[in-house]
Order: sequence, then structure tokens, then C-alpha cells
Amino acid sequence: MMKKRTVCAALAVSAAAVSLAGCSTGSSSSGNQDSGGAKVVTIWSPTDEPAIEEWWVEKINAFNEAHKGEIEVKREAVVRANSYAYEDKINAAVTSNDLPDILYVDGPNISNYAEAGLIVPIDAYFTEDDLNDFVDSIKVQGTYDGKLFALGATESSVALYYNKDMTDAAGITMPDKLEDALTWSEFEEIAAKLTTDQVVGTNIIMDKGEGLPYVLEQFWISNGTDFISEDGSTAEGYVNSEKGIQAATFLNGLIQKGYANVEPIQQEFHNGKCATMLGGSWEVATLETQFPDVNWGVTYFPVADNGGIKTSPTGDWAACMTKNADEAAAGEVIAYLMNQENVTTYAQAIAKLPTRASSYDTLTEYNEYPRSLFKEQSLNTGHPRPRTPGYTVLSPGFSEAMMNIFTGADIKESLDQLAEDTDANYQKNYAK
Amino acid sequence: MKKAAVKKYHERRAAYLFVLPAVILLFAFLILPAFSTIRYAFTDYNILRPDEISFCGIDNFIELFQDKDFKKSLVNTIYFTIIVVPFQCALALLLAMLISPRKKGVSIFRAAYFSPNVTSMVVVAILWSVLYNPNPSTGLLNAFLTKLGFPACGFLTDPKTAMNSIIFMSAWQAAGYQMMIFLAGLQGIPADQYEAASIDGANKFQQFCYITIPGLKNVIKYVVMITMIQAMKLFTQPYVMTQGGPQNSTRTLVYYIYEQGFQSRNFGYACSVAAVFFVIVITMSLMLKRVIKAD
Repeated sequence: MMKKRTVCAALAVSAAAVSLAGCSTGSSSSGNQDSGGAKVVTIWSPTDEPAIEEWWVEKINAFNEAHKGEIEVKREAVVRANSYAYEDKINAAVTSNDLPDILYVDGPNISNYAEAGLIVPIDAYFTEDDLNDFVDSIKVQGTYDGKLFALGATESSVALYYNKDMTDAAGITMPDKLEDALTWSEFEEIAAKLTTDQVVGTNIIMDKGEGLPYVLEQFWISNGTDFISEDGSTAEGYVNSEKGIQAATFLNGLIQKGYANVEPIQQEFHNGKCATMLGGSWEVATLETQFPDVNWGVTYFPVADNGGIKTSPTGDWAACMTKNADEAAAGEVIAYLMNQENVTTYAQAIAKLPTRASSYDTLTEYNEYPRSLFKEQSLNTGHPRPRTPGYTVLSPGFSEAMMNIFTGADIKESLDQLAEDTDANYQKNYAK
Repeated sequence: MKKAAVKKYHERRAAYLFVLPAVILLFAFLILPAFSTIRYAFTDYNILRPDEISFCGIDNFIELFQDKDFKKSLVNTIYFTIIVVPFQCALALLLAMLISPRKKGVSIFRAAYFSPNVTSMVVVAILWSVLYNPNPSTGLLNAFLTKLGFPACGFLTDPKTAMNSIIFMSAWQAAGYQMMIFLAGLQGIPADQYEAASIDGANKFQQFCYITIPGLKNVIKYVVMITMIQAMKLFTQPYVMTQGGPQNSTRTLVYYIYEQGFQSRNFGYACSVAAVFFVIVITMSLMLKRVIKAD
């Protein structure tokens, strides 16, 4: 009797082990249905600020209510951190065939995923009128090989925030017109003036991941070059060109002279530890809601000396449909997420620029400073990041090269190495 | 006679059923992935194209042996291991000897020394990157240094000090575990040996050399072995604290495997690095085992 029981126990344990070993999180394969028979559409997007998290809950509830018994939307908020954790999760999901139906990806990764066949075109779910309402920069960002693979609700921009108390105390007046935008030397001079024992003059490292190429590419563009050639195939002679080296030299000067931290503390500008920062348009809302005591202003992205090109970053996260999706259901969800009302409310919640021109009719705050400055930059000086499938190597490579330079590596050698690695990767994986 | 045979059969069956779960899990999560890794090492597997894997012979390995970053990662990993193993083991032994006497209040120190070990390495790494911050107004260590009149040290941002900073932090974090093992070993050494030695006039240092060390011989072998294998697998600290930088000074082999496989999408190549890494770890373990045995 006793023995029988032990055998049964052993069997039970091994059965559990088998089910554990064979388990898979099949949350996202197509044709998934919930208990009520509705098609489940899963969305992955990065965890975000509370206002956006609330937006998601509200919009998903509304959609599910309206489509009871047909479609049920579920969203998984994936932690992005300031590294590549989100992209790692996508990569892992590809190998285990666990991709969601709708995937939010950062703009410059779209080409890579489209090239690999991970995501499918979404032109069909938008009318021509609808598409005409979207600003060009977001459509350009989402287009690969002539087809639209992604659309986002928001655009972004970066400008120079400054602590008004500190600039006033130093007798500095920041420009309020695009044509008077600070030049690099003026920017450095101001950073130098504002640097004290307790406060650094500026912050040029948004984060050590995507933040570096996103913000700093503008210094290459403004100086008359870029990271890679127009067709996305060659970095040699661009990122490491004479003008590129000048840009890197200027940025490195800010760090080496102690005007900017190489290891910035979280929100050092917000907490009064830093006098100016190259910050995203979304910081407006953070500063207004969470740091009401900070007296701040914002001015245009600095321009290279001697008549450099006026430029500013653009690009933002956008929704794609994966190859695993039930196309009709997922298409309906994407169309819903990108409808006029949702683009407007999403942009409002995250304080980023909306991608629909008609949203500005409702979002009248964009007619007033400081938001008007970001709208002006986005419409007049915006430059998207390189659209190349090789971006996934270029981006971390650039971050690494810049961090190496900031910690003492030779500028030319680092950029030459970056160009070599980027081109080798392109030749190996994407050249036809 | 027959009854006994039946009984034996039943017992054997039960025994197999008991090991079955462990074998299944081991097979699914260790043996199968290990074989897949070796298989993929000979392919051009791009992580985003699991449907288009083609065999490419030893191309990956040819590329590997010409790869500067691979060599640098290997050197970094070996450097880390060579420094951290003796440092961490000595630290653990020291701590164990400090808390071994059964005195009042010792259990507080025991918990204190062990607590970094039960804290997640990610948390510890984030905390230490703040401690190591090069700016004295943020970094506690640099605040001390500058207060004492020394220049601020770059720690993680200086390629000369970055790996050593990681070594120090890692030893601090992990020594508590080896300390516990040493502690158990120390308590297994009979107290009368020390008594006899002190009657014979042996001082503390002689007692340490001729009683403690020989008494811990087997424990030391075990501790050195597991510390070495753990050290070879260094990943979390560079991932969280330095991303392999500055200037490649903290890129380890496992971090390089991650970078190649996930960021550069070259999964096949990453598998070939992993295969070579596997061979290196096995070789080093066998060598260490031989050295220890010869002793």
C-alpha cells in the first residue's frame, strides 16, 4: 500500500515536471480566443509615465466594451529601462514564436524588423484621407521598401532646457527665435559660466542607450554630415568624416572640461544639480506636474558654428502589426489606436507632439510657449534617425564609441572603428 | 526468493520514477539547449529569422579567432577570474574566522556579512554605480577621497580602474556565501587541536598555518572551484554598470555572447562563442582539478 502511494507521488511530480518543461506562454499566437469566444489581440508597449498608463487602461476598456464577444485587447507593459531590455525581449519572443499581435517599436528599429519579415504592412487599415492627416516625419519613419509598416501617435523633439534662476543669476538671456538659436561656442560658453562646484553646466547624455544617437546625431547633421549615407549602406566617410570628428570633439570638450557629467544622475536638471539639458519634448509635462517649483525655460537645439544646419531630432515609438497577428482584428485595433481622438488624447497625456495635423486644432497649448517651440522645431528642423536595417548595430555602436571617447579614447580611432563595424555588419546581413 | 525479486523490481521502478522529474528538467533546460548551441554554432542563424537557418561550416570559428573583441573579452574574463578568486576566497576565510568564535553578538555580523549575497546582483550593481560615481557631489567614495585630499577617481568611467572596481564590488557581494562554507569547515576542526598547539607554544599565525589551513583543505578546494566557475560567467555587473565599457575594459565573454546574439542579431556567431567558452571553462576546471589533486 505504502509503495503504491510513493509511486503515485513520483508520477504526480514527474507529470508536473513534464507540464512545466513543455509549457509555453502561448499568449500571443494568432487565433487566440478568450473564454467568451472573442479574439484576443495582445499589445506590447514600453512601460510609461502614469498619465500614459492610465490612458491605456481607459482606451482598452472602451474598446473591449464596444467589441464585446468579438475582440478583446490585452496590453503588456514591457520594462524598457535605459538600455536595450525591450529589444532583447522582442528578440527572445521571435525565437520562441511568442510575438504579440501588435508591437510598439522605436522608430529606427522599424527598418530592421520589416527587413526581417517580422512585421507586416498596415496601409490597408487606413483611408487615404486618414493618412494625409498624419505628418510626413512619422510616415517616413514607418515606411520601408515603399510600404507603410508602422504609425505612431506622437512625434518627439529635443531642445535645450535651462534653469531660469541660474541663467538669470549669471546674466544670460537665452534666444527666443529660431534664427537666433545658440551656436556651439555660445552653448559651451553658457555651460562654462553656469558650472559651479555643486552644479554642472549642461547634460548631453539623455541615457546611455538609444538616447545618445537620438540626441547627438544632430551635431553631425548640423555640421553638414550624418551617421551614414542617404541609402543607409555606408558609414565610412560619414560618421568618421572630418566634420563628424569635429562634432565628437565639441561634445567631448563639454565632458572633459567638466561642463557636463559623464555619469549623469537621474533627473539632475529637474533636481537643480544641472543648469541646462538637451531634453525631450516630453519633459515639459514632467517638469510641470512633478517639479512645479523649478523655474525653467527652453530654447532651440544648438547649431554648429559658422552657419551650421538648423536641426532637431524627431522620431518616436510606433505601432506595428506582427506576422503572428490575426490581421483583421489587429488591423481594427491599430486603426482604433491611431484614430483622431486617440492620437490627440495620447499626445496630450504624454506631452509629445501629435502626429495628426488635425490634433493641433484641439491641442491649442501648442500655440503657446514652451510647447510652440517644439512644434516649430518638429515642423521646420526635424531630422529622423537613419533608416537602415543596420541601425541595430549602428546605435549601440555609436553609444559605445561616444562613451569610450568621453572616457579618454582617441576620437578618430573610435569613430573609424564604429564605421568599420557598421559597414561590416551591413555587408554581412543586408547588402543585396 | 521470487518475492524478493518482485520487491527489488518495484523498488527500482520507484527509484527511476523519483529521478525522472530531475532528469526531464535537466534534459529540457540544460542538455537540449547545450546541444542546440553546438548545432547553431555551425550556422548563420540571425535571431530575427528563425526560419532561414543555413549551415555555414566552421566560418563562425574562423571569424572568431580573428575577432579583436573576442580576444579582449577573453583576456578580461581571465583577468577577472585570476584576481577575484584568491581575493574573494581570502576575504571569505577572513570573515569566517572573525565570526567563528561563539561570542555574543556574532550572529549579527554573520547576518550582515551574508546579506549582500541574498540581495539581487542587479540591485547591488545599481547601488555601487552610485557609490562609484565620478562626481564627488554624488559618489560617496569620491566624496570621501576628495575630503581626505585625494583627487576624485573615475572608478567605472576610467578604463584603468573599471574592472578592478567591478572585482572589488563582486568580491564584497559574493564573499558571504563562501564565508558560510568556510564557517562550517572551521567548526569541523576539533578545538583540542588548537589547545594542544597553544600548550606546545604555537602562536596564532602558526596555528592558522598548521591547523586551520590543513583542516580546511577540502573545503578550500571546493570553494576555489565554484568561485572560479562563477567568476568565468561574469555578466550582470558589466551589463548593469558599464555595458562592457569604457573602451572594452569590462567586456566579458558572456557579455560578448549576449551582445552578438541579441544586439547584433548574430545568434549563430554567439553560439560559436558560447561553444568556445564552454571548452575554455571545462579545460580550466580540469586543469584546476589536476593542480589541486597533485597537491
